[in-house]
Amino acid sequence: MAQTAENIHEKYPLDGAALRLATDGTPTLIGLECADCGTRAFPPAPVCPECMSENVRDFELPDSGSLYTWSVVHVAPKGWNVPYIAGYVDLPQSVRVFAHIVGVDAADLEMDMAVTLTTTVVGEGENGTVESYAFTPAKG
Amino acid sequence: MREVSVIGVGMIPFAKYREKTLAEIGWPAVKAAIEDAGVDKKDIEAAYCGSALGGMMSGQRVLKQLGITGLPITNVENACSSSSSAFRQAYIAVAAGVYDVVLVLGVEKLTKFGGGTLPLEKEDFEVTHGLVMPALYGMRARRYMHDHGLTKEQLASVAVKAHKHGAKNEDAQYRNEVTLEEVLGAREIADPFTLLHCCPSGDGASAVVIASAEKAKQFTTKPVRVACSEVNSGKYMTGFRDMTTPEITVRGAKQAYEEAAIGPDDVDVAEVHDAFTIAELLYYEALGFCDKGESAKLLEDGDTSIGGRIPINPSGGLLSKGHPIGATGTAQIVEVVRQLRGQSGNRQVEGAKVGLTHCTGGGISGFDHGACSIHMFSV
Repeated sequence: MAQTAENIHEKYPLDGAALRLATDGTPTLIGLECADCGTRAFPPAPVCPECMSENVRDFELPDSGSLYTWSVVHVAPKGWNVPYIAGYVDLPQSVRVFAHIVGVDAADLEMDMAVTLTTTVVGEGENGTVESYAFTPAKG
Repeated sequence: MREVSVIGVGMIPFAKYREKTLAEIGWPAVKAAIEDAGVDKKDIEAAYCGSALGGMMSGQRVLKQLGITGLPITNVENACSSSSSAFRQAYIAVAAGVYDVVLVLGVEKLTKFGGGTLPLEKEDFEVTHGLVMPALYGMRARRYMHDHGLTKEQLASVAVKAHKHGAKNEDAQYRNEVTLEEVLGAREIADPFTLLHCCPSGDGASAVVIASAEKAKQFTTKPVRVACSEVNSGKYMTGFRDMTTPEITVRGAKQAYEEAAIGPDDVDVAEVHDAFTIAELLYYEALGFCDKGESAKLLEDGDTSIGGRIPINPSGGLLSKGHPIGATGTAQIVEVVRQLRGQSGNRQVEGAKVGLTHCTGGGISGFDHGACSIHMFSV
């Protein structure tokens, strides 16, 4: 069986309910906040993974955090633009987000460096380019 | 609960069997285990088959080749821990007195995917955003290197050790020794890993026959006792977590050592889940073979090589023996049982009395790992 691009969502935004774009294109990541127990999680879901309450609401994640770790990915299923930098970003309020890290040479990355939210093209799907949220080193 | 013993083991060399079906890959391992046990196939009361990507009825497809049908066959999927989880189910059934003699098999054919990284679940959020297993372990490695000063050379030396062991194993997919320079200079996969930091993709099968300790006496004078059987799932964590501490293995090891009343210092030989070089180092620590941050020293001192204090992965491990994922758990048990019987030839761990197998896997968002199994055996 040949590898296909089916791992990549064809729709834009790729992330469905997890990403909200303002009319000027400014991205915001959306998480889950449980109205009963206060648990926060990402991506959003219809039920709280802590207390099973369905009394959950959207929660706008902060757009800046710190880079916990990363890896430069050279081998991935068909469709992804390789190489890309995969990373985990820790946002304040205890949410960790998996993301592509863009706009930087891997050699210039540092552990725990400040990064900020953006969007980027991550691959090619059957219907054209696929975009997603990503993080990039914070300016200054 | 009754005492349970392993009375038969078998496997086929791990390799790429593109031309064979899953059933064709599987049956020789089962036949070998039955012959090793000295049981008649009619003695087998139930079978448990582990396969992650083999498709429906993997157990039935394999066992019909040998006419082992009409008995309860249960298929178990738990990613890399599939056949070790199947072993746990078989163990429970025998320990509880439901059956006296049970077959466990693990079988996988990864060549049907045509190569590349292991296909992961497409419903998973991180997978749909580009998470692949080498990257997940690569990110663990990077953080560990930062936190504990591990060098690229030290990391690469895990693969050198694995291949040194695997070169002595006729069931290993890779039977060549490699140099540090070859590991460092191989094709890049996911930084800091080159190809030789990653277990190969391939096909294979392995099988084990277990019996109640009482029943085992009918078939063998050298049963291998199952000292503990432990399977866990990971804890879903939405927030920050320390990716250099595999919590599921730490938790599982604590339970396993308590259940067996055996400590890490008592273990003579272990097969651990070295899917990538960093994994082996993390598991030295998680399984209590050394303190946090000390794993590279343990390796460098030769403690985990054959002839050392606690030889790890004498089979070559996943890195050299190969990792047809559903077949790995029972293959680890095959290796440890042979070691405890003194049947391991030029890779024998001298005087091994206590062995441990550790199999963990599953790349899904929010978990350290989806599943983890730890078994201990003694003679």
